[in-house]
Amino acid sequence: MTSALELTGIRKTFDGVVALDGAVFSAIPGEVHALLGENGAGKSSLMNIAAGFYVPDAGTVAVNGETVALSGPADARGRGIGMVHQHFKLVKPFTVAENILLANPRPSFRSGIQDIRQNVRKQADQLGFDIDPERRVGDLSVAEQQQVEIIKVLIGGARILILDEPTAVLTDVEAERLLQIVRRLADSGVAVVLVTHKLHEVKRHADAVTIMRGGRTVATADPHVASAAELTELTVGQTAPLPARAERPRGTTLLNVGALYCARGDGQVMVADASFFVRAGEIYGLAGVSGNGQAELAEALIGARQPLSGEIWLEGPGDIGTLPPAVRREAGLAAIPADRYAFALAGSLSIADNFTVATIQSGRYGTPWLIDRTAMRRDALEAVAAYDVQGVRGVGQKAALLSGGNAQKLVIAREFSRQPTVIVAHSPSRGLDVRACAAVHERLLAARDRGAAVVLISEDLDEILALSDRIGVMTRGRIVAEFDRPADRQEIGRAMVDHA
Amino acid sequence: MHDVAMTMRENSPSPKPPPRRGVGRFTLDMRQALSPWKQAGILAGSLAIGLFISVVILDIAGIAPFDLVRELAGVFNADSLRSVLVRAAPLILVGLSAGLAFRIGFWNLGLEGQMVFGGIGATAVSIYGIGPESTRLVVMGIAASAGGLLWVMLAYWMKVRFRVNEIISTLLMNYIASYFLLHLLYGAWQDSKTAFPQSTQYQPFERLSDIGYGINSALLVALAAAVVAGWGVHLSRAGFYMRFISANPNMAKVVGVPVRTISIAVIALSGVAAGLAGFVNVASQEGRLTQSFFDGYVFSGVLIAFLSRNDPIIVVIVGFLLAVLFVTGQTLQVFYQIPFTMVQLIEAIIVIAVASSEFLIRHRIRWTR
Repeated sequence: MTSALELTGIRKTFDGVVALDGAVFSAIPGEVHALLGENGAGKSSLMNIAAGFYVPDAGTVAVNGETVALSGPADARGRGIGMVHQHFKLVKPFTVAENILLANPRPSFRSGIQDIRQNVRKQADQLGFDIDPERRVGDLSVAEQQQVEIIKVLIGGARILILDEPTAVLTDVEAERLLQIVRRLADSGVAVVLVTHKLHEVKRHADAVTIMRGGRTVATADPHVASAAELTELTVGQTAPLPARAERPRGTTLLNVGALYCARGDGQVMVADASFFVRAGEIYGLAGVSGNGQAELAEALIGARQPLSGEIWLEGPGDIGTLPPAVRREAGLAAIPADRYAFALAGSLSIADNFTVATIQSGRYGTPWLIDRTAMRRDALEAVAAYDVQGVRGVGQKAALLSGGNAQKLVIAREFSRQPTVIVAHSPSRGLDVRACAAVHERLLAARDRGAAVVLISEDLDEILALSDRIGVMTRGRIVAEFDRPADRQEIGRAMVDHA
Repeated sequence: MHDVAMTMRENSPSPKPPPRRGVGRFTLDMRQALSPWKQAGILAGSLAIGLFISVVILDIAGIAPFDLVRELAGVFNADSLRSVLVRAAPLILVGLSAGLAFRIGFWNLGLEGQMVFGGIGATAVSIYGIGPESTRLVVMGIAASAGGLLWVMLAYWMKVRFRVNEIISTLLMNYIASYFLLHLLYGAWQDSKTAFPQSTQYQPFERLSDIGYGINSALLVALAAAVVAGWGVHLSRAGFYMRFISANPNMAKVVGVPVRTISIAVIALSGVAAGLAGFVNVASQEGRLTQSFFDGYVFSGVLIAFLSRNDPIIVVIVGFLLAVLFVTGQTLQVFYQIPFTMVQLIEAIIVIAVASSEFLIRHRIRWTR
């Protein structure tokens, strides 16, 4: 059978840094083909080449057996290649229909938008999505925005569908649903490329798997035949052990959230009467289906969002709900937000600046009148080495040039450099590879063992179960149930659904 | 993830083009980093192109390039140099005012209004004779700073309290300030001797005098302000925080940057600089409050801030060059009868040239096959 998409000998460098070196990939119509690899293995870069976003330095791209030189994303779309990026390419103030029209231009806006609206409804029905074409994209949940992206490329006539880490932002249930839809699309003859680093998805949902490491293709295998251990071995070269956890007595309450209410940007109340407490030396996991107020709660805790009412009490300063974030920082709160470039990093500034900004107030880097750039660079260099931040050619380099996982390592290096007493981590391992993920988990456990109170908000139930001492389930803005370790996965799942 | 390295193509909107091997195409790459020397080179090249276009236009208007060079060189005789330096002082101050505010993303377009209130503050001190003669100028400077500060803080307060966009409020408040000035000049403060709509002439000790070598003390005020601003922006902790406030205000707040305190301080200083610009303008040039001493300074201030990339030290250089352009422009106006709009045209051409260099510094155009 002719390959729907065939990439051979692909090489790509970014400013002298080799991202891809002789990568190969081939997918046939009707299959779900997983592309597995760690962060920085080159999966996204390779698929961006297939979708016409990057021009390869060397190598060929063939669509349905015909070698093509893609002149851009529009050209790729014209050839039936559609890509759903990890970071969605949607214009938030526009409606769903307008976004889709933007990607699939029609001669006239008026008739075009009518046509798009009908198409969206039809596609949404077929796929079982509940998407209103008239809603503003900014008001949709992450899962819904992803559905819009999928509808967008399907309306564009995609026969080769590339999904870049589609389940990274989804809950178990949402991911399961998405993967079933992916299977239906494949059955209808679409070649689906599933970029992922989740092994269980590959094992359960893929017909074939191509594994990348360090910009090269290391193997193509049948996931039903190859064992999980073999695949892991190929992906990381070595297996990461689960961190050991010591039992330790719990201390006093360090963080107490009482009857908290928060509204979203559009005024919708997302956190409604949320109450919980976290003690010294414990990890409190907050599980839930995304869009149930976790994002708003996390933002309120780190000081990015003013609560409507209620209390956020911190040992030391007391109720800090409406006080500026600087107060909670001084009291020892560390923030690892889900959206790194919204709340944790300034992409246009250097790594050294981003690393030192949270601690400069302490006087570590000179007086208010004269900052000490040498000390800043020295500490940043040390942290980059200690936290294994890759892809750094100098600490004067812009933070935006780091890949997702490495940017997260930089955030964690900064937040943990101050020996925090309360840590708020929202999806801290989102988009990270096995090794980086294990490193993050180790840091969180170490902080807990040191006596810190950790709030772990995550849509990844495995992560919650592996790390938490206590688990709260958040549904419709409230904590509806709490479980002590060891918690039963089924019960937690039921709590999520029962109260929805 | 690698958005920074996104490749764009000129022909991307058309869905059909087949592989056109052999013909090639332009590709536009985002540059990740460029050495300061190359950046300076690109900037210099763009400026040269802008100046060349200006020379051609002036040639068409009847000023031969040779004459132009002579006139420009003429700026460096003692008299002209004196007027260049006098003109440079308020230009540097409005450049600093705009540059500081822009650094934290506050679009202060109210430079003229703040200059007006600076001038009014200084003149009030002169009219009511506040303080002894020896310190009169200092008191005038403080009153002018206060005037500029109050006028800009009003816009900031409206932004915080009523979410009024400062681009609109500061710009429109220029008109309010200007009409308030006219109200004074046609009313209480009108010069009783001449009955012209201007205030009475300042006393000699109320004027910024020359300190020798053709340098006016107004320039010293401007240079001192530039040094303080340059130190604040480049060396102080507040300057470090300012970079985060402009790069990502939400993130800055979350990591504990005192966003509000720094913003208020910087906006206040922006107002002070503009107020001082009003002060040095009235106290060094006219020696009295006139109807139009502030005219055109919003555009000049924004222009200087833009060309200097909000760097206070470069503001001094750009302010000086703009003063040269203005003084030469006046000479050309007198001796060659070209309209003053020609000077503005040249200003605009240079702005566009520099703006395009910005694009070339960020992107690389390549011809690929």
